Amino acid sequence: MSAGDPLIEVEAVSYAYPEAAEPALRDVSLRVMPGEFLALVGQNGAGKTTLAKHFNGLILPARGSVRVAGQDTRAVATRRLAGIVGYCYQNPDHQIFSRTLRREVAFGPTNLGLPADQVARNVEEALRLVGLLEKADDYPFLLGRGERQRLAVASILAMGSRILVVDEPTTGLDLQGVRGIMTLLERWNRELGRTIVVITHDINVVAQYVPRTVVMAEGRVVADGPTRQALTDWAALEMADVKPPQVTRVARRLARYGIPPDVMTVDELAAAIRARLQSVSVSARREEA
Amino acid sequence: MPVGYSIYQDRPSPVHTRLDPRTKLACMVTVFALALAFNHPLVLGALMAAVLVVGIWSQLAIRSFAPFLASAAWFIVLGILIWPFYIQQGATVLHVGGVRFTSSGVLFGLAMGLRVGLMVTAAGVWMMTTSPQKMTLGLMRMGLPYKAGMAMSTAIRFVPLINGERLTIMEAQRARGLDLTRGNPLSRAVRYVAVIGPMLVRALDIAQALAIAMDARAFGVRNARTSIIEIGIGPVDRLVLAGCAVAVAVALALRFLGIGLIARNYL
Repeated sequence: MSAGDPLIEVEAVSYAYPEAAEPALRDVSLRVMPGEFLALVGQNGAGKTTLAKHFNGLILPARGSVRVAGQDTRAVATRRLAGIVGYCYQNPDHQIFSRTLRREVAFGPTNLGLPADQVARNVEEALRLVGLLEKADDYPFLLGRGERQRLAVASILAMGSRILVVDEPTTGLDLQGVRGIMTLLERWNRELGRTIVVITHDINVVAQYVPRTVVMAEGRVVADGPTRQALTDWAALEMADVKPPQVTRVARRLARYGIPPDVMTVDELAAAIRARLQSVSVSARREEA
Repeated sequence: MPVGYSIYQDRPSPVHTRLDPRTKLACMVTVFALALAFNHPLVLGALMAAVLVVGIWSQLAIRSFAPFLASAAWFIVLGILIWPFYIQQGATVLHVGGVRFTSSGVLFGLAMGLRVGLMVTAAGVWMMTTSPQKMTLGLMRMGLPYKAGMAMSTAIRFVPLINGERLTIMEAQRARGLDLTRGNPLSRAVRYVAVIGPMLVRALDIAQALAIAMDARAFGVRNARTSIIEIGIGPVDRLVLAGCAVAVAVALALRFLGIGLIARNYL
């Protein structure tokens, strides 16, 4: 695999769960380049998690192919792909079982067969990154929900995987918890160059933190591109029954007054209104003059 | 009617709609009694066929019998392998390493396998044709305390839910490099701690959440309670119950007469 090759390459993948009336994925193609940070959005049942589970071979395509770091997922066991793709489940309680945070985080890298000293280093680093190092020897089940979520992320970070898939990282978290997790993912992507795929319903989080968005509906990709572009593809969003951030919808209503309709955050809207007001006042002064 | 998490299949068949859950329970107990009364494989095979016919008449999906028939096949294999060591009557059919396999031994083994398979299949048909709600209500009408009935139906409902949790947890741990397929049974069992630990935590979480939700909806305020589903013994039930009683009586009489048995001294 060369530097310009995609890290994840999904080619015309279809998949149906056993005994399901409808396929979960229909002819899905997707390319993820190294160092990208993207979000999979869509309604429940749109196929987001099913697609993401193809990345580490938890699900194998019924039709089409999935290549991760150049390897066909059909030919590589999930335990081998775990070293490339770390998958963090929505509910941290689906994976936590150890007596201490340190042992919990060491579970993944130990399974991968990393040397003991490297496991120890990875564990320290991962716990430091998520801000739980001082609790390394505590009992994980006494942590709050937000801390358990960060512990789950740390346990994947410690595996040193090039790709991190995080399923619903913000569910059940307060604003501070959401900010903590998303800032962490953003830093991990920017500073360490890791590829991150986030599955989420939180469209505001996507607008604020994630540069690329893939919108899914009924097992298909209906929009894929820079977040600003994907979240203003009104036809695709309608098809997926996904609403862009309120601020974007407000901006769309204000488009006839010269406000750009693709603003994603309150700050952007405020800046756009300010710029518009300034331009109006400048023209008014010119007219007066 | 909400089916919830059970093997119950909602169908408009007479067995589903005309029979009281207590009648169906009595039918199942009758099949158990008949299975114990006879030990001839032909009789037990005929009873097995009858249970399957009732299942098909109840419009149950044919493939839903597969797990029961598979377990019956296992019991038959085990029976045929084990019982010839104990029953040495009849003609020799095979000599293996000094052990004599007789026709009676093999047929008795076949019968014992069929007996267990018959009981399992009858219980399966009962559960597939009786919704958990009606099953619990029927048992409560028979004197089962209301809280015990609730616990029973909840336990039935939670088996597939906990199984779903198990599968999710296994996926989550596989994604962390856990391999549950390699190594000897002991090392695999040790690795299963990574699955069993979160499963216990999830089961406790679910139980606690359920207890709080039930408390919030006044569970246990009264000892008796009404039910949204009404059940009652009708003329068809009486007819079927009488048939069950006659069948048990006839089976007992035949047992004493030694009819329908391949080995008289064995149950």
